[in-house]
Amino acid sequence: MDSASALSRPIHTIQIAHRIGSLAIDVSFTITKPWTILFGPSGSGKTTILRAIAGLIRPNRGKIVSKVFPGTNLERTFTLVDTDMGKFTPAHERVIRMAPQQPSLFPNLTALENMKYGMPLFVRDRTEEEARDQLIEDLMNAFQIAHVANTRPGKLSGGEAQRVNLARARAAMGCRLLLLDEPFTGMDAELRTGLIVALQNKQSFPETSQILSVTHDVAEAFQLGAEVIKIADGKVIAQGPVETVLAEERARLLQQLNP
Amino acid sequence: MDSQALWLTLRLALTTTALLLAIALPVGWWIASGNGPLRALVQSIVALPLVLPPTVLGFYLLVALGPLTAPGRLIIHLLGHPLAFSFSGLVIGSILYSLPFAVQPLVAGFRAVDPALLEVASTLGASPLRVFTTITLPLAKPSLLAAAVLTFTHTVGEFGVVLMLGGNIPGATRTLSIALYDQVQDFNYAAANRTAELLLLFSLLTLLAIYWRGAARRPLLG
Repeated sequence: MDSASALSRPIHTIQIAHRIGSLAIDVSFTITKPWTILFGPSGSGKTTILRAIAGLIRPNRGKIVSKVFPGTNLERTFTLVDTDMGKFTPAHERVIRMAPQQPSLFPNLTALENMKYGMPLFVRDRTEEEARDQLIEDLMNAFQIAHVANTRPGKLSGGEAQRVNLARARAAMGCRLLLLDEPFTGMDAELRTGLIVALQNKQSFPETSQILSVTHDVAEAFQLGAEVIKIADGKVIAQGPVETVLAEERARLLQQLNP
Repeated sequence: MDSQALWLTLRLALTTTALLLAIALPVGWWIASGNGPLRALVQSIVALPLVLPPTVLGFYLLVALGPLTAPGRLIIHLLGHPLAFSFSGLVIGSILYSLPFAVQPLVAGFRAVDPALLEVASTLGASPLRVFTTITLPLAKPSLLAAAVLTFTHTVGEFGVVLMLGGNIPGATRTLSIALYDQVQDFNYAAANRTAELLLLFSLLTLLAIYWRGAARRPLLG
């Protein structure tokens, strides 16, 4: 990727302190790369962090700032949460999209209607309409869901439902940050590879957007080759390229494979 | 056959159902969207007519809406006639009396909608109103139908509130259940039998209609 387009990626600064049950989450990190992974064991607070960024929970303390088009003359800064200032932007005004771990498709709508839910309700002219229809077609091809476009969620397989879930979040208007909660859990390697390609291709991943995904799978983290933020017990213990941050896990995994 | 009473009964039930649903939708949604002492209090007040003798409700309304109280006199001043012993008074009484029959099924229906769906809709940029109209309401449609039918039939069948509040004015407050009471008082058992039959058949058929549609798979009064 060249530096000019890298400049137009948003920058998200996250500070969250939140107590949930016996787990005290206290994290602070900045998302600058196209794709960043929150890596950590179950119960380490990853999903809660994601939900706080999405606006589904109000953190006890925290500050979440979204800077779009940094380094260009379009640069703007949105403070989504600032508990010290009493600021809290509700989820539907954040332009941050989320695909939850459970697909949660709307059962009263078809797969296509689900996918269009977050897209603009009205188009101004023919050009916009064509652009929208083109995006729908591209995403349906990329996520291989064209054949189930008019099917209700109740009749989709688990894999199909998850692909619609991801396409729906990706299709939503003006996405600055896409949050994926364990997007590839329970999928075989081939399907996972296909979905990663689909998520990373130009149509589905505009250069004005970022992805933050959650996983506890070392192989998946390496396959994505993304920036990794390692979480344990609600704290950030490392951040950097996957080869550095997860070197220890990788060695352990390889040792298990070749004892 | 007292066709005037039949027409009045249907008009009262339809008016009550339409107005009550408009009230019950936001109230039911508010109760279902959280917990806490205030919601519990509102839910208890809404459920009161289930346990209260209808005559108690009728009595309070009679006093509150009648010409003997300040609010009643204000109403007379504004409308030119008292609400008690009038059709509008009956509508108000019926709305209060049927409140739980509209609100409870809606609360149960709204609570049955998976909150994860509402959350994901909001992260897709949908305002709370859009989430309600496009997700919550369509998914709670069977409950909405149950609320409408229950309100309608319950209003058709009400007696105590109407008697206390409306009296027995043909064309204004004389509903079928009052007509039946009147006919029995007059020892006109043939007419009473026809009225009773009509009410029984009507109630059975409407209940059959909702159970048939499977709307009652959810608890009607959950």
